[in-house]
Amino acid sequence: MDKIIEVFKKTIESSKIEQQKLCMVTDITYDPEVVNYLGIDLFHTSRGRAIPFATGMKLANPGLKLVVFIGDLATLGGNHFVHAGRRNMDISVICVNHYQYRKIAGNDAPGSFPRISLSPYASFDEPLNIPHLARSSGAVYVARWTLLHENDLSLSMIEALGKTGFSVIDVISNEPERLDFYFKNSEIRNGEDTVNVKIEPDEKICLGKFIDRERSTYVDAYNEQLTRVLGDKFIKID
Amino acid sequence: MESVQIQQKEKRHPMENLLRMDRMPHIWCTGCGIGNAVSAFADALAILDFDLDKVCVVSGIGCTGRVAGYIKVDSFHTTHGRAIPYATGIKLGNPDLKVIVISGDGDLVSIGGNHFVHAARRNIDLTVILVNNFIYAMTGGQVAPTTPIPAYTTTSPFGNFETPSNVPQLAEAAGAVYVARWTALHMRRLTYSIVDACKKPGFSVVEVISPCAMYYSRINKLGDGLDMMRFYYDHSMIKHGEPTDHLEIDYQKEIIVGKFVDRERPTFSESMKKWLEG
Amino acid sequence: MKANPSDVFTGTYYIDGDVAAAYGALAAGCKFLGGYPITPSTEAAEAFARKAPYVGAQFIQMEDELGSIASVLGASWAGKKSMTITSGPGYSLMMENIGLGAAMETPFVIINIQRSGPSTGVPTSTGQADIMQSRWGANGDYEIIALAPDSPQESFDFTIKAFNLAERYRVPVMFMADECVGHMTEKVVVPDASEIEIEPRRFYKGKKEEYIPYKRDKDLVSPIVKAGDGYHLYVTGLTHDERGYPILDNLSPFNIDQAKVRNKKSTNQYLVDKIRKNKDKIIELQENQLDDAEVVIVSYGITSRVSYRALEQARKEGIKAGMLRLITVWPFPDDRITELAKKVKGFVVPEINYGQIVFEVDRCSHGEANTILVPHGGASVHKPDDILGAIKKIMADDKKYDNIVEYTTSLEKQVFKGCLAEKIRKRQR
Repeated sequence: MDKIIEVFKKTIESSKIEQQKLCMVTDITYDPEVVNYLGIDLFHTSRGRAIPFATGMKLANPGLKLVVFIGDLATLGGNHFVHAGRRNMDISVICVNHYQYRKIAGNDAPGSFPRISLSPYASFDEPLNIPHLARSSGAVYVARWTLLHENDLSLSMIEALGKTGFSVIDVISNEPERLDFYFKNSEIRNGEDTVNVKIEPDEKICLGKFIDRERSTYVDAYNEQLTRVLGDKFIKID
Repeated sequence: MESVQIQQKEKRHPMENLLRMDRMPHIWCTGCGIGNAVSAFADALAILDFDLDKVCVVSGIGCTGRVAGYIKVDSFHTTHGRAIPYATGIKLGNPDLKVIVISGDGDLVSIGGNHFVHAARRNIDLTVILVNNFIYAMTGGQVAPTTPIPAYTTTSPFGNFETPSNVPQLAEAAGAVYVARWTALHMRRLTYSIVDACKKPGFSVVEVISPCAMYYSRINKLGDGLDMMRFYYDHSMIKHGEPTDHLEIDYQKEIIVGKFVDRERPTFSESMKKWLEG
Repeated sequence: MKANPSDVFTGTYYIDGDVAAAYGALAAGCKFLGGYPITPSTEAAEAFARKAPYVGAQFIQMEDELGSIASVLGASWAGKKSMTITSGPGYSLMMENIGLGAAMETPFVIINIQRSGPSTGVPTSTGQADIMQSRWGANGDYEIIALAPDSPQESFDFTIKAFNLAERYRVPVMFMADECVGHMTEKVVVPDASEIEIEPRRFYKGKKEEYIPYKRDKDLVSPIVKAGDGYHLYVTGLTHDERGYPILDNLSPFNIDQAKVRNKKSTNQYLVDKIRKNKDKIIELQENQLDDAEVVIVSYGITSRVSYRALEQARKEGIKAGMLRLITVWPFPDDRITELAKKVKGFVVPEINYGQIVFEVDRCSHGEANTILVPHGGASVHKPDDILGAIKKIMADDKKYDNIVEYTTSLEKQVFKGCLAEKIRKRQR
């Protein structure tokens, strides 16, 4: 899990993003020493509620640049994800996706991987197709990479931070052995229709940048509507 | 004289065995479309001829949430937004029961959005009848995630500017197997849609566009319930199989209705059984 | 400092408690409301939504209460005064994040217009049954401040007080109104901005390199900063030390030796101490004819208006009664109750619930005085006769009670009798 923070660190250091205005909101526990010297503010909130916390921050101070790291999008935070996408809040979401295959055909079938002790039956659940959900909710930038595609992931992060609107990067992260397996069994298909990028056990994982479009954000729509209705009496939020 | 009296005693409405007549008259306003949804549902139950002892209705909070109090089957009036997890529990606890969720747009898409998405993803065998009146009516007319731009509501006093949710698109993206939309005017087609949705195993969603005479149409000066019905008559188009991205409802523009998704997927219970055996 | 004139809508109004609370919040400088509609508090959110664009404040209706409270915490950390408005079921949903706000020491205000009944209850009627939940609702140890108004004018004044206390002590403040006050329409005077005192946010003013997030002043409160100013904030709900970093050891952070050795004492004790040690400055009471009183009515919220009538009647009949009204319900005035218990025969505690503050009163009297509870299930307020009856009972009894005695009131369930549906049904038969 800390590997993603390393990639993030390298991205921030090498790019021209203004570090003072960058805030990181997460519901996963990270060691603060790791990002301390970067000059960004780190908020560790309750599980599943990182996205509305970031919404509040953005609306109170629209000058901030927000990056949200969430782990368990699939269970707790789904509602907030859909509604933030609908409103097109100007935040970037990085989903740390710990998908694990149930069984995979082929010689390197990881059948010897230990089962998760808490939910031995959960592996027949269908996983959430995060890029498709993001697109249907209205996200403006959707991409998926594994942790081993460091350069592509870095580039994606820079693009997502530079884009105004709700951006989602689905990062497939896991233990190093399984990550190697995913790396070999994936293919990059940029611009693919998100309906087809579901992770199926017997197929290759689809990676790449899927959506890159424009939509007006919540703050822009708010300002425009109220200026139109109220004229001079409307005071914008600073 | 006696024969006339006997005739009067036998005159009963055919729907009376499905509704709790001791609680009539109901609380819904004149011009509300929820009554239409309940009538269609009662007719559908009569057509389906289910064993009424094995049917459960679960509803949340709101105007549509009061449906549980008027249908004479095992009905549950639960907390706000949690109708679907309750229904999931009932269905998994006793798979012989037929469980139907009837609730509103604020209850199922706003606070219950997470549960909606995950129940569709897992394909739990439920039928959801979502009555969409574009507003939070029970609490006095606040903005809902389905309110079109730029409608007025009490919490968007200068007009709504948030992009509304498109319920059929959300249901399809999450994995529902049957998605249809009708208005409160299309009573016969709605009844048959509910019949199809109840017969199909898996997560089915039927959206019912309904007028709200007390809040939505009054605040936006669109007339009363009958005026909204006339609007649906003039502006709704039946297009079966239309891709769900084209189904947004713009303010006072065309409403596309019909059956959009009808596909097969293994349900949650079937997947679980297969996993346990194999 | 004085309020900003552009935030204050000076004038005389005829409005209800909900709307007055919204006006009070705007006057105090609140710039963010993340809310969700729930009866009976929606009028406050609607009033805020109407006025917000004129003063540069932001209103957003979130998708649920969990999202509302999380967005309030975020806005507070981005530097704005923020609040949310809710009622019973929504309050229960928000509990986890209230605990998070208390642990992070975030200043914010929650307005809870209490309604009756557990769970959905009767949404359009009054109750006072969330008082204990406001103090103990979230998990773990923390302290909050709770205020209880009894009129729309007080709704306006106390909301400003709530924001001032939140900024002063960096603590969540619960504004525990009830539906009766929220939906009561009365005259409210909003004074000129120069007559309103507000407490500005206590920002840190020293050097950036020397900033230690939770280093406390003599009041045990630390100055706050906001995100985006270059302070390298790390804010978390995990139990943390002075620098804000989590104590990730296996051992309990209360193991003082371990903490001393590593010089990383946890902040948990301070969360509780900063309110307990400053109790005298926070607690506000309203005392009425207590000098020669033999029986004292302890009340809060709308019940205090009814108790005042009972007090007048008792004095007319020659009973030496007095009234202690709790303006701040939490922290509870232990010392005052203990002091009074030595002089008086007993306490009468009327509440619109089946007993919550009465347990605190009984505990603080340490067996020196009797306690009678006048409970009321909800959906309406007490009648003065019931409180008077309880007063007379205490005066008549000479023995010491072993336990709290409940005084059965003469109120029947008036809510559903005589309402419209009943009348229609009778006409049909």
